[in-house]
Amino acid sequence: MLTPKERLLAKLNGRKTDRPPVICTGGMMNAAIVEIMQQSGHTLPEAHTDAALMADLAGAIYEQTGFENIGIPFCMTVEAEVLGSDVTYGTLECEPKITRELFAAPRDVTPKNIAAMLADGRIATVVAAADLLAKRYPDVPVIGNITGPVSAAASLVDPVELLKQYRKDPAECHRVMRYISDLLIAFARQMAESGVNAISIGDPTATGEILGPKIFREFAAFYLNQVIDALHASDIPVIVHICGNMNTVRPQLPTLHANAISTDAMVNLKQLKTDFPEITTMGNLSTYLLELGSAAQVAEQTRRLVADGIDIISPACGLSTSTSLELIRAMTGSVKEG
Amino acid sequence: MSKSNATLLQELSDAVVEMEEDRAVAAAHALIDAGVDAALGIEQGLADGMERAGKLFEEEEYFIPELLLCSDAMYAGLEILKPHLKKTTAKKAKVVIGVIKGDTHDIGKNIVKIMLETAGYELIDLGRDVPPADFVSEAVAKEAQIIAVGTLMTTTMSGMEEIIRLLTQKKNRDKFQVLVGGGPISQAFADSIGADAYAVNAADAVRKVRALLSESELPEASIC
Repeated sequence: MLTPKERLLAKLNGRKTDRPPVICTGGMMNAAIVEIMQQSGHTLPEAHTDAALMADLAGAIYEQTGFENIGIPFCMTVEAEVLGSDVTYGTLECEPKITRELFAAPRDVTPKNIAAMLADGRIATVVAAADLLAKRYPDVPVIGNITGPVSAAASLVDPVELLKQYRKDPAECHRVMRYISDLLIAFARQMAESGVNAISIGDPTATGEILGPKIFREFAAFYLNQVIDALHASDIPVIVHICGNMNTVRPQLPTLHANAISTDAMVNLKQLKTDFPEITTMGNLSTYLLELGSAAQVAEQTRRLVADGIDIISPACGLSTSTSLELIRAMTGSVKEG
Repeated sequence: MSKSNATLLQELSDAVVEMEEDRAVAAAHALIDAGVDAALGIEQGLADGMERAGKLFEEEEYFIPELLLCSDAMYAGLEILKPHLKKTTAKKAKVVIGVIKGDTHDIGKNIVKIMLETAGYELIDLGRDVPPADFVSEAVAKEAQIIAVGTLMTTTMSGMEEIIRLLTQKKNRDKFQVLVGGGPISQAFADSIGADAYAVNAADAVRKVRALLSESELPEASIC
């Protein structure tokens, strides 16, 4: 019998397993639902800034949901904050957000020292939480989440201006993306050194619908691969989540170096597997169904994903904090019953 | 209209489609110098250019960066033409627009706003992360006809339903038409919460607002 850690790492390394793992990466796709927080007493927003509380909440989510991983942090503002943008930690129900990007345009960006940023703010919090969790749960994979380069750039520079400058001033945009990628690589390596087993990258701004195929190739795919290659050099497997319908960037998916690609609910993962057998697919149970459907519907759709041969079963997007534990268990249970 | 005037209007429209701010400014000056009516320049030059850009967007030739640059060129031309507009008494239909509470992604909302403004509506922009009650109170206060609500996140979709509920509760449901849109939204979702229309993208939002206003026989917008 495989441990959850062995099963997920085998999948991420392209090996066959007894059944697909069922996971919820954390980060933008975390399962910190209100029901778990209220029962366990480990609550947000406090857990965003306290390593012990972050570890306790991540542990409670693992214990109660049936997901076969632990995921931290619970937001995608850690990098933005350490880079210098203004962030609000939100509330119990509502996730942290960027309230003001530090720079108005890419040419304004003045880099900070990477080593100083690593020791600063919530990067240290997340790394300390990873250390606690890796020791507490030796058989469970701990996934560390980082914000994708394009989304992180859009949290440092006004996103509307940034989108224009991808066309008007690509050289400055590349300079910003290199800076951000360096920080992301260093942050992810620190997590791995503290016991994180895999890195998951959520890059919601990097969609074909927003960027179009050309800018996606030049900036999103290129810098995702820069980060992934650097992490692979340190033997860290990487999951990438791509938002949206992917129609315009579908042909570029095999160019991503990720160990698994996670997609939104509207993507037909079975078809994706057929078209690109080399891709390890992950996803993609509708989070809308998970919030508002019935346990029977959730179980049925989950079984369909398993039957379709999807490699790793996971929610398709960020969970609503009002999702019930019952429906999450219906999802995880129907993968394990197999 | 003389052939040269048609050429000038075409040049203005092309400058918008081709995202060239300086060229739009030059074309707008040329139109004024030639004695062309500024309103015509806006309608058949700038707005025409944005409409063509919107088509290219729907055909997936253009994406968000291109639309934003087209709108920069459009606004640059508008700055030149606006002072030359004859005073008009026609009342513009008002649209309250915003991103629902819990979501701070507003690129899509900004694009919809640009397209609706170009189409001649008066936009009241509530910004992002807007509580449902604020949509209702602002629509009432500003005597708007349309409430346009967007979200990119599945986690905030219920806020849209809350707007409809508040309108019904305050017996205001008939006074406003509610248009919803954004990444996770679908026609089926719009129907399920009782919204009046769903727009799949910014160009569609203009079509839907036009249709909603003609149905309700409220004054159709006059360009700027």
